[in-house]
Amino acid sequence: MLHALVSPGRGWDGRTAANSLSRHEGVGGAGSVAAELCVRRAAYAWGRGSCLCRRCAAPLFLHSPAPHPASALALVDVLLKAVGDTPIMKTKKWSVERTRTIQGLVDFIKKFLKLVASEQLFIYVNQSFAPSPDQEVGTLYECFGSDGKLVLHYCKSQAWG
Amino acid sequence: MSLNLDTEDDFYLEENRFKQCCAEFIKHSQQIGDGWEWKSIKDFPDGYMSKTHFQMKNGNTPSIFKDSTKENDEQTFTHVEEALDDSQASEICATSEVIRYEYHVLYSSSYQVPVLYFRACFLDGRPLTLDEIWEGVHECYRARLLEGPWDTITQQEHPLLGQPFFVLHPCRTNEFMAPVLANSQRENRNINYVTSWLSIVGPVVGLNLPLSYAKLVSEQNTKTD
Repeated sequence: MLHALVSPGRGWDGRTAANSLSRHEGVGGAGSVAAELCVRRAAYAWGRGSCLCRRCAAPLFLHSPAPHPASALALVDVLLKAVGDTPIMKTKKWSVERTRTIQGLVDFIKKFLKLVASEQLFIYVNQSFAPSPDQEVGTLYECFGSDGKLVLHYCKSQAWG
Repeated sequence: MSLNLDTEDDFYLEENRFKQCCAEFIKHSQQIGDGWEWKSIKDFPDGYMSKTHFQMKNGNTPSIFKDSTKENDEQTFTHVEEALDDSQASEICATSEVIRYEYHVLYSSSYQVPVLYFRACFLDGRPLTLDEIWEGVHECYRARLLEGPWDTITQQEHPLLGQPFFVLHPCRTNEFMAPVLANSQRENRNINYVTSWLSIVGPVVGLNLPLSYAKLVSEQNTKTD
């Protein structure tokens, strides 16, 4: 199941995300226009904290994207893989906005894994190359994506001291 | 979840391998016009990779250099002279804000890893302080610098040129390189140590590698499969 990483706002955490998702499972189902509209609107409306879909007023964060709306909604499918003794994320598959930067993704993974601020996290393409922090996921997908997804490896480095 | 039996000791970079990695790196740099060169010192077996690039204080490429992308170095210098001879006030003001960045990749035999030396100066020769260099570095990289495993940037004498350079201390290099190398070993992939390393440390000091360097490695892997 793919999750949509629309934009992490304040108070976001894994549980909120899972709750939002389950609340929307029935909204027209995957591939429905309603689901598409929800994600599209949420991308612009995040911060107001509620879904703009006409069917509910639930806090929207995640949606199960349909087979092909990812490109229509400017999202790319990303598979996150841990390197070394970095904790493995329970959810590995994400739909990420094309314009999200590597730095944004780093911040997201660090929050998700509850890393402390002094721990550094690196993201790699091709298991070996760290793109610049301001590189966009969409560009990386175009260069390194295959089978409809972009595989990114992430690795944490030891904390200071 | 596997036991991490790979120790950091396994992944030091041997000097000949360093030179090989640099050669591959420079070959690609030449293909894409990224400006890296190998410099060797007369009578010394040592050498290093070097890149010089120019930037305006606000981060833009100075317009006097913009048209030179398709031309060779000699013509670039001609354009500079023309611009300075003209009394066009805007260009003359602009040149005082142009900063020349120099990056050198050397090999450290004591740490057995590559080391990044860098310095920057205005066109009149006045060197930038570390703070001034960081003013040109994006906010998020500065945060990374504070968090990163490179807690020391010091000013040292360049081992081959004898001039003062800033250095990203190599003592923690093996720490952040080891997991990447272990992973590639496990997957039987060849990676270019210098490319990987520079992609990590570079952005922190304003040096960003074009993405095509990453593709270089994958092409090599496809060929060996």
